[in-house]
Amino acid sequence: MASRRVKPTGGYELWWWYFMRVSGLLLVFLALGHLFITHILNNVEVINYHFVSSRWANPQTGVIWRLWDLTMINLAVLHGFNGVREVLYEYIASNRARIMVSTIIWSSAVGLIAIGSYAILLFHSDKDYIRDFEDANRGGTAIHAPVLPPTTIARQP
Amino acid sequence: MAQTLITRPRAYRPGLWTRLRAGLSYGGGVGQWSWLFHRVTGIGIAIFLLIHIVDTFFVVAYPRLYDHTVSIYGGVFNGEYYWPLRWGFRVGELGLIACVVFHAINGVRIIAFDFNPKASAHAPMAFNLVMAAFLLIMVPVTVWVLLPLAEPSKHWKMPEARPEGPALVAGAEPAPR
Repeated sequence: MASRRVKPTGGYELWWWYFMRVSGLLLVFLALGHLFITHILNNVEVINYHFVSSRWANPQTGVIWRLWDLTMINLAVLHGFNGVREVLYEYIASNRARIMVSTIIWSSAVGLIAIGSYAILLFHSDKDYIRDFEDANRGGTAIHAPVLPPTTIARQP
Repeated sequence: MAQTLITRPRAYRPGLWTRLRAGLSYGGGVGQWSWLFHRVTGIGIAIFLLIHIVDTFFVVAYPRLYDHTVSIYGGVFNGEYYWPLRWGFRVGELGLIACVVFHAINGVRIIAFDFNPKASAHAPMAFNLVMAAFLLIMVPVTVWVLLPLAEPSKHWKMPEARPEGPALVAGAEPAPR
């Protein structure tokens, strides 16, 4: 256990060493910004399909939200899963087990990036569902208009 | 020339407890704690990330299933409100925020040390700085996140299921496209 947090001398591991630092710095802004919008400006109790749709399907700012989320998901999955791999490599010495670990880690990472990017890129607002949702929440429970940074245009009634 | 026969001694393998202790320690001192917290919070965030990407996939696959899932985070399950569910998820939410905030601040410290190795002479001070920044952020965030629990849940209603279409969630059918 003497060789922890030592910069790799070259090759694959050095590439990852730099990646972890660059993606980490970017994620400080992307992930903390995401948490700030969803947990501080808004609230888990008001996040629903309607909320997601008003961000991703917004005609003016939807592209920005999608780009933000796409960058964040790709960097976060690679950063997180490579981190788990590095931790496991410290405890697993046998080559065969390491190959197994990386196979599992990288196939799940590719799968997650695939479904995440699919959701972000191919989302389209389900107008029927939104209409039903607004009908169901008229009167009693208010439909919560998402609190978003000032660039966002308010939803039309 | 005489052949030297090297008999390799049987590898000594320490017991489970010793191996666990060795695996969770890193030279002792404050460095060990920031190392361990960084590792534990990182693994926790990675597990959450997996769940979060899968639940967000429902938003494009089945809007109704997405609303069903996220309403659980607010304490509503199948249209019924359960306060322990809401309180439990609130505390979990706070834990997640704490993990991300610590991992972010400590990560910046690690990067600063990597690119400025001489600074590691001041490691204990840097650890105190990280903890101070963490508390400075987390104290108001904790109040802000837990405060809504004092008020009744502002949960929204899921729309009535349309009669046609296959069932995805028990008792709820999706709107036809």
